[in-house]
Amino acid sequence: MDDREVPLNEQADTGRAFLEGLVAQLSLSASVATVELDEDTVELRVDGSDLGFLIGPKGATLGALQDVTRTVVNRKTGGRNGRLMVDVAGYRQKRKVALERFTREVVVQVQQTGTPRVLEPMAPPDRKIVHDTVNDLEGVSTVSEGEEPARRVIITPD
Amino acid sequence: MSEGQDSAGDADDVPDTDVLHADDMSDDDAHVLGDGTANQVVGAEAKSVLEFMARQIVDEPDAVVIEPDERGPSRVDLRLHVAPDDMGKIIGRRGRVAQAIRTVVRAVGAREGVETTVDIVD
Repeated sequence: MDDREVPLNEQADTGRAFLEGLVAQLSLSASVATVELDEDTVELRVDGSDLGFLIGPKGATLGALQDVTRTVVNRKTGGRNGRLMVDVAGYRQKRKVALERFTREVVVQVQQTGTPRVLEPMAPPDRKIVHDTVNDLEGVSTVSEGEEPARRVIITPD
Repeated sequence: MSEGQDSAGDADDVPDTDVLHADDMSDDDAHVLGDGTANQVVGAEAKSVLEFMARQIVDEPDAVVIEPDERGPSRVDLRLHVAPDDMGKIIGRRGRVAQAIRTVVRAVGAREGVETTVDIVD
């Protein structure tokens, strides 16, 4: 499959059609919306009731749903440029807020004790949230260590 | 008087009387549904979602066939067949596509109380 540049909105439309078809297969009362996060990232948001089973433990089912959606989009459009995200019932947004809050709590501990804190292994998007949160704060910084999928962030005092 | 008229009316309307007979109705339904209605199959929703996803990924959707292998009242193994040239597409690099499909299908099965596995066979 070639990696030709395909407009992100065309990829988003294909992904949305797939998710709408899936929702119909499952007889769910849910809708799919396209939201541009930035010029390279589009998020397809599935919203409705009783969607928890599509999120799964620690978002594992949601991650799989996103993988399948990206695969379908790539097969149908040939495009892999840009980033297509899938969210269900606002899970990613809620997780981002919770992870930012957790990170700020750890930062306070690192500042008070002066000792580094090693966080549990996280997926790249989650590590990015931690890095971004810490980098906005004074007196602390981050490094990553270990190999995927066990790569983890360490928050250290400067 | 009115009672007599009612029973006379019922006796005339033979088909209605039959349909209103509860036992007949459930027997009929069981017959109809037993003859291949998808809802009677263990993990029917998981199967239809697997078929839907697989058909969107392969080049030959008409070659997608799913054989449900019932392993018990709440356990099913879905055996997925695709065209030989589509095997690589449905499995993906390092099995990543197959794994994602399995995860979604398992979640859909669990929602209907069925433990579901997916086997990709050639």
